[in-house]
Amino acid sequence: MSSQTIQSNATSKAGHAAEGPMERFIYDDATVRKFVAATVLWGVVAMLVGLLVALQLVLPPLVNFTTESGSKPFAFLSILTGFEFLTFGRLRPLHTNAAIFAFAGNAIFAAIYYSTQRLCKARMWSDMLSKLHFWGWQLIIVCAALTLPLGITTSKEYAELEWPIDLMIAVVWLGFFGTNFFMTLKNRRERHMYVALWFYIATIVTVTVLHVFNSLAIPVSLTKSYSVYAGVQDAMMQWWYGHNAVAFFLTTPFLGLMYYFLPKAADRPVYSYRLSIIHFWSLVFIYIWAGPHHLHYTALPSWASTLGMLFSVMLWMPSWGGMINGLLTLRGAWNKVTADPILKFFVVGITFYGMSTFEGPMLSVKTVNALSHYTDWTIAHVHAGALGWNGFMIFGMLYWLAPRLYQTQLWSKKLMATHFWLSTVGIVLYVLSIYAAGLTQGLMWRAFDAVGQLQYPDFVETVTTLIPMYWVRVVGGTLYLTGMILCAFNLIKTWQTRPATYEEPVHQAPALAKTYQDAAQPASRLEANVEFGHKGDVWMQGWWHRRWERLPLKFTIWVIIAVATASLMELLPTLLIKGNVPTIASVQPYTPLELAGRDIYISEGCYNCHSQMVRPLWAETLRYGEYSKPGEFVYDHPFQWGSRRIGPDLAREGGKQSHDWHVRHLENPQQLIPQSIMPGYSHLLKGDTDYAGIGARVRVMAMLGVPYGTMVNEGEAEKAAREQAATLAADLEKQGGYANLKDKKVIALVAYLQRLGTDIKKAVPEAEPAAKKSAAK
Amino acid sequence: MRLSDIMGQLDLATYPIIALVIFLAVFAGVCVRVFGKRYAAEIDRAATLPFEDSTRPEGGAQ
Repeated sequence: MSSQTIQSNATSKAGHAAEGPMERFIYDDATVRKFVAATVLWGVVAMLVGLLVALQLVLPPLVNFTTESGSKPFAFLSILTGFEFLTFGRLRPLHTNAAIFAFAGNAIFAAIYYSTQRLCKARMWSDMLSKLHFWGWQLIIVCAALTLPLGITTSKEYAELEWPIDLMIAVVWLGFFGTNFFMTLKNRRERHMYVALWFYIATIVTVTVLHVFNSLAIPVSLTKSYSVYAGVQDAMMQWWYGHNAVAFFLTTPFLGLMYYFLPKAADRPVYSYRLSIIHFWSLVFIYIWAGPHHLHYTALPSWASTLGMLFSVMLWMPSWGGMINGLLTLRGAWNKVTADPILKFFVVGITFYGMSTFEGPMLSVKTVNALSHYTDWTIAHVHAGALGWNGFMIFGMLYWLAPRLYQTQLWSKKLMATHFWLSTVGIVLYVLSIYAAGLTQGLMWRAFDAVGQLQYPDFVETVTTLIPMYWVRVVGGTLYLTGMILCAFNLIKTWQTRPATYEEPVHQAPALAKTYQDAAQPASRLEANVEFGHKGDVWMQGWWHRRWERLPLKFTIWVIIAVATASLMELLPTLLIKGNVPTIASVQPYTPLELAGRDIYISEGCYNCHSQMVRPLWAETLRYGEYSKPGEFVYDHPFQWGSRRIGPDLAREGGKQSHDWHVRHLENPQQLIPQSIMPGYSHLLKGDTDYAGIGARVRVMAMLGVPYGTMVNEGEAEKAAREQAATLAADLEKQGGYANLKDKKVIALVAYLQRLGTDIKKAVPEAEPAAKKSAAK
Repeated sequence: MRLSDIMGQLDLATYPIIALVIFLAVFAGVCVRVFGKRYAAEIDRAATLPFEDSTRPEGGAQ
């Protein structure tokens, strides 16, 4: 290897300008060690919470199991399902955020801090920024872990954190991490930027853009804000974010990781460096367009979702190119794979990358999506990605890094192999059972009997069928978590055998010369031709690309332009062109009480199990009622369409049940639907509605363009809310329901639920229909 | 007059198509260059960059 290194060094020097003076430097591996520790810690936490939410879906039948003598032997398990702060709706966002931003996030940082320094032959630019980045990120994670169980959430998936934490993320990500990274690039001692660095650049700039634009909101208080976007626009923004967060948080940095750590572990260069460049550019150009496929058959204009589908299918090319490139890097080294668990982790990880990137575009095809959407199929897909691809790549990297970072031997290679097999069996059990669950439920929803009626009209039937498959998931998840714990144990043991002081080898490399002589512009190879032809030929030889490939600033700007252009083209039409969201005159803003109820709905995370979007499919309109129209959501800041139906859709819930039914159902769902797996919300019958805070909420909504008229005046909104609550509570009593609930949260929530989807059935209000129409946009 | 009123008057439909063509053209340009002959030597050296972190005197991969 060394002779090759020296030789290639010599080639690079030939033909270029003189280098600067020789410099000495030490790599900062202390920060990498910290990020590795955080990765392991949060990995255990994220998977533990994942196991808990998986249990919450299977335990309710067990908790309610009654023996012949009338006793409930498993009632004690309700401690896992019935605790106000630990309901599924509040914990599921904690699980996803912990897995993505804490486990995968810290792993990305470890990978970037380790490889960037070595690829740039430079220490990270600022030790202070490295420290601020590390501790700032951990603070964000702790804030998330505290606020989400408290019900402080924006309800935008994978962007649930409220605005003060969002600001912290922006500062830590771009201010600390971004600055540190780009300054290191600037001070690098290697002219060519290796392809892994390109993937890191794309990650940093794109995640910044996504985070900032999706999180734009107006605060009501320190813990509450309203998205500046409403309805269809909010949905577009959210899934432009959601989709590209998968691309630029869980794909590009991991590809950078793959292109660095896989060659290192296999001890051979990547199969085709050319292919890796094509891989990079096609991802940057194509991925960003594909977001709307998350919203097929919703109230999104169909051209937008078709465009999203088209670009998703095009993604097959770069993704499989990348997978093949990774696997072929091991050409001639497969004997090593059988012996080395690190390479096994990488091979399985890359294979899962190939499988989930095949599946993703397939799920974006409308006809497939009609079946898969809102079912567990999506859940299986993301776990194949997050546990299969991200998880396995992380484990491979951790085991490769451990002996190098702790400057000792890995404590147990056997334990590492055990971990590999546990996670492999675990993930296979997980995804297979959940695929089966998704298909089963999707097919049950659309099953018709001989006379054209729904075969399973009772929604809960389609859920209880899945319970055995959910148990298999619990087993699979437990195996995967056990593997993670073994990994933590192994790494701690390894760390314990570290030397008293870490050796810090001093490296040396020449500084880059201040002035750089580019290779001369090539001459045209054409003979008889016009000037333009000659210029074209020179351009075709690609000399220009080589120039800006080593210029980080220009490179970054080009990536931003590519990403921003594609995003604008995707988003602008829905944001700005009037005709795309036809208004409906009878759709009116929520009353102050309903708005307060809606905020409780958001806070409890109801959207995690209940969608609010009836798709224009026969099976759905038959089950839920009239399909949803874009114009129905113009006052929804933020939208609540959801992405998974563990419970039925609620878009047309208003008026279907009595107030009394809703109150009793919320108090304890099983007293009305014995097989239900929904947690009880009895605390809503005890907690008081925050009437005093309603005025501020209405005023912020008015600021966002919701026509609240005189309701914004001091005290008006509160008065209206109290009046409506009193009426509703009186009606509830008349229906034989509980008394004295008018100041309780449950009344506000029921007011909201009874309003859902009823506006389009109402007559157009008399007052100035024309003015209303324009205001509604 | 809101921004959406103004935007509604503009014919924006052609711009995505233009953007798409530009994207495809730049992408094609990248492909042509990457597979061009002149790039070969540089590619071979770039691919070995991960192994150059051992700039320490004794050299050699880890």
